Parts: sequence; C-alpha cells; structure tokens
Amino acid sequence: MIISLGRRRLFGALAALALGVTLSRPAAAAEKPADFVRQLGSQLVAIVNSNLSPAEKKQKVLPLLQQDVDVDAIARFCLGRYWNVATDAQKTRYLGLFHQVLVNAITDKLGDYRGVSFTIGATSPVGEDKAVDAILMRPGQPDANMQWVVSSASGAPKVVDVVGEGASLRLTQRQDYASYISRSGGTVEALLNALQRQIDKHNTVASH
Amino acid sequence: MSSETGDQQRILHSRTRRLLSDGPEHTSRRTGPTGRIGSLLIATLTLAGCGSLTTPKPKDPEALAEYNEANDKFEPMNRKMYNLSMTVDKYTLKPVAKAYVWAVPRPVRSSLANMAQTMNEPIVFFNDVGAGKPRRAGDAFVRWCINMTAGVGGLIDVAKYAGYPHHDNDAGLTLATWGVPSGPYLFLPMMGPSSVRDGIGYGIDTGLMPLNYVPRGYGLLTFNWAYNIVNTINSRADRIDDLDNLEKDALDPYATIRSAYQQQRKALADSIKNDHRATVPDWYN
Repeated sequence: MIISLGRRRLFGALAALALGVTLSRPAAAAEKPADFVRQLGSQLVAIVNSNLSPAEKKQKVLPLLQQDVDVDAIARFCLGRYWNVATDAQKTRYLGLFHQVLVNAITDKLGDYRGVSFTIGATSPVGEDKAVDAILMRPGQPDANMQWVVSSASGAPKVVDVVGEGASLRLTQRQDYASYISRSGGTVEALLNALQRQIDKHNTVASH
Repeated sequence: MSSETGDQQRILHSRTRRLLSDGPEHTSRRTGPTGRIGSLLIATLTLAGCGSLTTPKPKDPEALAEYNEANDKFEPMNRKMYNLSMTVDKYTLKPVAKAYVWAVPRPVRSSLANMAQTMNEPIVFFNDVGAGKPRRAGDAFVRWCINMTAGVGGLIDVAKYAGYPHHDNDAGLTLATWGVPSGPYLFLPMMGPSSVRDGIGYGIDTGLMPLNYVPRGYGLLTFNWAYNIVNTINSRADRIDDLDNLEKDALDPYATIRSAYQQQRKALADSIKNDHRATVPDWYN
C-alpha cells in the first residue's frame, strides 16, 4: 500500500513535471524572440548613438545585418509571385542586388539619428513567426511604435520584417516592386535593371 | 475625355487658389466646411465622370489577387491626381515648408504642432464617443482640458506628462469600427492618400471641428485662418524627410504610399477596436 501510494505520488510528480515542462515551453519560446530583439536593438542603438563617422557606423552595422537579418527570405517575399517566374540566373542576380539595396537603405539612415533609445514590449504570434513590440524614442520627435517580426525557421532567430506604425516594410516593398514590374512590361528583368540603377545612383552620390 | 479634362482643370484651379490645404487628414483642419465639402464634391464628380479611368480586372488569378490587394480600382485617375499634387507641391508648399524649418527654431515649431493637436482634440473626442470607446474619449477630453489651461492654449503638451498621451481618431476610423469597408483607394488632389470611406470621414470631421463655427469678431476668424495656414505648413514640414526618402528609395512612390497608407489605416482601426481598457482610469482601481 505504502509502495503503491509512493508510486502513485511519483507518477503524479512525474506527470506534473511533464505538464509543467510542456506548459513552460511556449512561454520560454515566447521570451526568446524578445531577448533576441533586445540584444540586436541595443547593439544597433549603441552604434547609432556613437560618435563614429557614417562610414565607420556602416562597417559596424554590416556584420549585424548579415548575422541577424534573413535578407534572402525578405528578398523572396518582396519579389512575391514573380519569384516563381524568375530564372535561376535572375534569382541570383536579384538576391545580390536586393542585399545591396537593403544595406544602402539602412546605412543611409544611421547618420540621421542621435540619442535614440527603445523599450521592448509584448511578443505575439504572427503565423509561424513571432512579433516583438518595441517603442523607438527619438529626441524632438514623437515615439515610434514598431514591431520586429522574428522567424526561427532557419534554426537561429532572424529578423524577417519590421512593422512601423502599422505598415510592414516587406509588404510595402513587395507592393512597390509588384506595381513597378506590372507597369514595366511585367518582366523581372525590368526590376533588376531598376535596382541596378538605384545602386549606381547611390554609389555616385556617395562618392561625391 | 473632354469633361474629364474640364473637371481636372476645375480642380487644379480651385485647389491652387487654396494651395495651403495640404497635410495629413487627421490633424489638419484649415478651411471652412463649405470649402472642404465642395472639394470633396468635385473629387466625387471627377470620379463619376471618369468611368473610363478605371483599371480593368485582370484575368490571371495571381494578377487578380494582386489587383484585389491593391484595392485601387481608380488607379489611372489616382495616378494623375498624385502626379498633379506632387508637381504643385514641389513648387509651392515644399519650398515654403523648407523655409519654415530654416527660419523657425524647433521649440517654436513643436509648440505650434502641439497647439494644432490640441485644437484637433474635440474631433478625436467626438469620434471616440462615436466608436463607443469611453476610455479613449475621456483621455481626449482630459487632454483638451489640461492642455488648454495648464498648457497655455495648447502650446505645451502637459497632458502627455500627466499620463494622457495623444491618440489618433477620425470619422473614417469611426466608420471602420462600425464595420464600414474602406471602399476603393483614392488619391485626393492636394490632400493625399485616402479612400471612399476616409474621404467621407474627412467631410464629417470638418463638420465636427468647433473652430469652423467661430462667430465673426474677436479675431476668431483670423485665428482660424492663421491656425489653418500654420498647421498646413507645419504638417508638411514634418514630412519633408519622409517624402524625400520615399522618392529616393521607392521604385514606384505612388504604390508605396498607397500600400503604407492602407496598412496604417487598418492598423489604426484595429488598435481602436482592440482597446478594451476599463472606462475608469488606472488610479481609480
């Protein structure tokens, strides 16, 4: 009797433990993206607020972007339905161009801000990804509400989208590209050439 | 086509006379209700007269999905309005806004922006009530009371520090919380991105603005005009960098504005719908 009671208790304890583990797992997974965003955010803010020159800031930000942002996934999303009709050569060229455009767009804005800080809020699921709320505080400007969408599909957490005041950057970009393609004869080639022109223009402006 | 050109010329004519009426719809109330409704009427007339200016529905299912997502039936006409607005803006309001930023120091500009926001608070209040959100309505009411008194006529946003930060609302969003669909996207000349629902909401908001009912005398009409003009220039100045970046970064700025506007309006409407805070303030509990 004593043994069976002990066993029952043991089973009970094991079951409770198992239940506890299953229950706590989603909570732990929900915390992870927030920590990831907090860490990435504080690294970015430290660079933005530093006294480095724009070129040095760019050098420091690049490895962060390569490591913590899933640029390929964003690029595929932005090309939308045209990803499936693009040839392999076009896809490779597009990914290369997209990387450069994204890096230019982000690094151009680094010099604009000083004295930036942020707070991390709640995490909510978005499909298979997690969206982490953040508030960006800039001196002399109203606080900006943002959401960082983090995907763990590739194993490690990576940023796949940023939502600013309700507008998703990748969705806005996809509609920009889609509209440009459909107005330029419906070919992916037209988009690739436009991206190339954008990069060339950026380089000439930067070199002057 | 000739009636359409005539309509556009009419719009160009009537709008260039009142050029200073650009700005984000939820913060700017500049001219009297008649002028606003009149311009809306012209826009609607133009719409009606431009049946040929709609985009045909594509046959391909993927293209059709894209067409539905953009929700821009009147794209050819909207693009004309967009180009017209951008050209006029480039030579008129944009240089004025740049000069304003150059000449007026930042603290003065932000005080004027605070005042514009406070004067707009009654519209936010009425719409919060309309949307059935007493807590939000209370916040707007308290903001107006605090800022008009302790904030010296709205110049200082004291309410923000007292725990009542600003929130947006307008009649387009109220209609959205009632379940009214947005209808097709519209780019209204000199007024910017909108939709059929938000355009109607704009007319309602103009009617809700107490400042538009000021009597003659006491300099109130002059104040209303000055307020409208300063608010227009101020809100355009706030967007100088954003619009410049957009022109640089976007391949099709028109489509980018459309996409961002539609997403932001939906997010704003959702945030109002999902605001289930208790009616009594936190300190009362």
